Amino acid sequence: MELLMPGLGLIFWMTVSFGFVLLILKKYAWKPILNVLNKREKELAKSFSDAKRIEYEMSQLATIKTTKIAEAEKIHDQIIAKAKEEAEAIVIEARERAREEARIIAEKSDELIENYKKAAILELKNQLSALSMDIAEKIINEEFSDRERNARYVNKLLKSVAEN
Amino acid sequence: MHLGHLFMNPKALLIVFTTITISVFSVNDTIAGEQDNISEAENPEMKFDARKVIVDHVLDSYDWHLFDVGEREFSIHLPVILLYEGRLFIFSSKRFDHGYATYKGFRLAKEGPMKGRAIRVLDDGITPDVQASTIYDFSLTKNSAAVIVASALLCMLFISVGRKYREADIYATPTGLPLFFEPLILFVRDQIAILAIGPHKYKPFMPYLLTAFFFIFLNNLLGLVPFFPGGANVTGNISVTFVLAMFTFFTTHWYANKTYWQHMFNMPGVPMFLKFPIPILPVIEMVGALIKPFVLMIRLFANITAGHMVILSLTSLIFVLGSVSLLLGYAISPLTVIFLIFLNFLKILVAFLQAYIFTLFSAFFFGMAVPDPEH
Repeated sequence: MELLMPGLGLIFWMTVSFGFVLLILKKYAWKPILNVLNKREKELAKSFSDAKRIEYEMSQLATIKTTKIAEAEKIHDQIIAKAKEEAEAIVIEARERAREEARIIAEKSDELIENYKKAAILELKNQLSALSMDIAEKIINEEFSDRERNARYVNKLLKSVAEN
Repeated sequence: MHLGHLFMNPKALLIVFTTITISVFSVNDTIAGEQDNISEAENPEMKFDARKVIVDHVLDSYDWHLFDVGEREFSIHLPVILLYEGRLFIFSSKRFDHGYATYKGFRLAKEGPMKGRAIRVLDDGITPDVQASTIYDFSLTKNSAAVIVASALLCMLFISVGRKYREADIYATPTGLPLFFEPLILFVRDQIAILAIGPHKYKPFMPYLLTAFFFIFLNNLLGLVPFFPGGANVTGNISVTFVLAMFTFFTTHWYANKTYWQHMFNMPGVPMFLKFPIPILPVIEMVGALIKPFVLMIRLFANITAGHMVILSLTSLIFVLGSVSLLLGYAISPLTVIFLIFLNFLKILVAFLQAYIFTLFSAFFFGMAVPDPEH
């Protein structure tokens, strides 16, 4: 029974001591400790969620990157194909044009050659006729210079005509 | 759910065991007492009263016994402070001479519910004065002194821990004292406060829960230390547990919200005749509110006292058997010591467990005091 008898003095001292400890520790221990613990946990949670978010964003970026690369490759291929096509077209056109020009040049040169030829032939004809005239003149002169021979030739001719 | 836990206490077994042990010793004591009546006169030292030793060790006292050297007893004589008939009496407990002397009409009661405390005696200096008016005893007893020592220790410890936290970088790995106490503080926060009160409401209760937890834990541990400044049965004293329970009670009702009070005085969804004109339900609710701290008080007191009693009983066993036969006393000693070592380990566990249970149930009561409003 004596165990269950509360003591007034002990109740008094206990209330005072415990109340004092409660107030002192609340201010000087629990508040700073819990603040630091809460802050640390908040920071850690924030860092963790940040890391998660960054990881997610990174994965997003990676998918974006691969799609972008694929797109770029596609565009690249397209550009190259187009360029090839265009180059071929240009080459073909150039060739066509060259051929045409060559043909035109050839035609013109043919014409020119023809003209020159004609001119040359004409010149040749002229010169030939002049030359033959000269020759003829000279021959005639030569022929008429030898009177004896001429007389003989005329005799011969007169003889043949007379025989006929 | 919570009340179920109160009775599922594994320490209940220990209490039963202790009760049996004590009653066995009491029987032995009375038998031995009758037989020894003759021999006691011849050789009073031969008598060993186990029950007296145990109860004296568990009870509070006016002086703090340190050790004995031969026949000489060394103790700290604490001040006795008595308020009697409007007069204040302050004197050293040395005046009582361990209950053998009367001082200014006060003497230590030898038996009864006031055993070991100052009572008024008649002029003959021995007979208790039954007609005397109440003595208001504010003495700084052994347990009071132990409470103050523990409080000082607690303040010193946690102020230094708190200072380290104030200075430290928040990401710094705790070292030294914080390294030891941080897991315990987190345990109280996560496994007691947040669990029992809820993550949004636990904050105002944290200082009390932490203080109560560490106060009980430290005092439980100090109670296991057999020499000064330990050895006082602080948490196994009904006054101490009463004050702790009262703190829980007042904290509960200080923070109690509207829903709690409505449930106490005007429980919604219950027929009116249960509340008016005879307030059956409010009375039941109020009794319930008082039983909660009462149970806290009794549980802590009984568990710690029971533990102390088991240890003391086992120690006494050596002397009880030794007084029968010296050989028997020696024979039983090794067995007792082995069992005592085991029990001390158990009591370290119990020291933690009881601090945890007291704090957890306090937290449950706080949680019940701040319910969410009815939907």
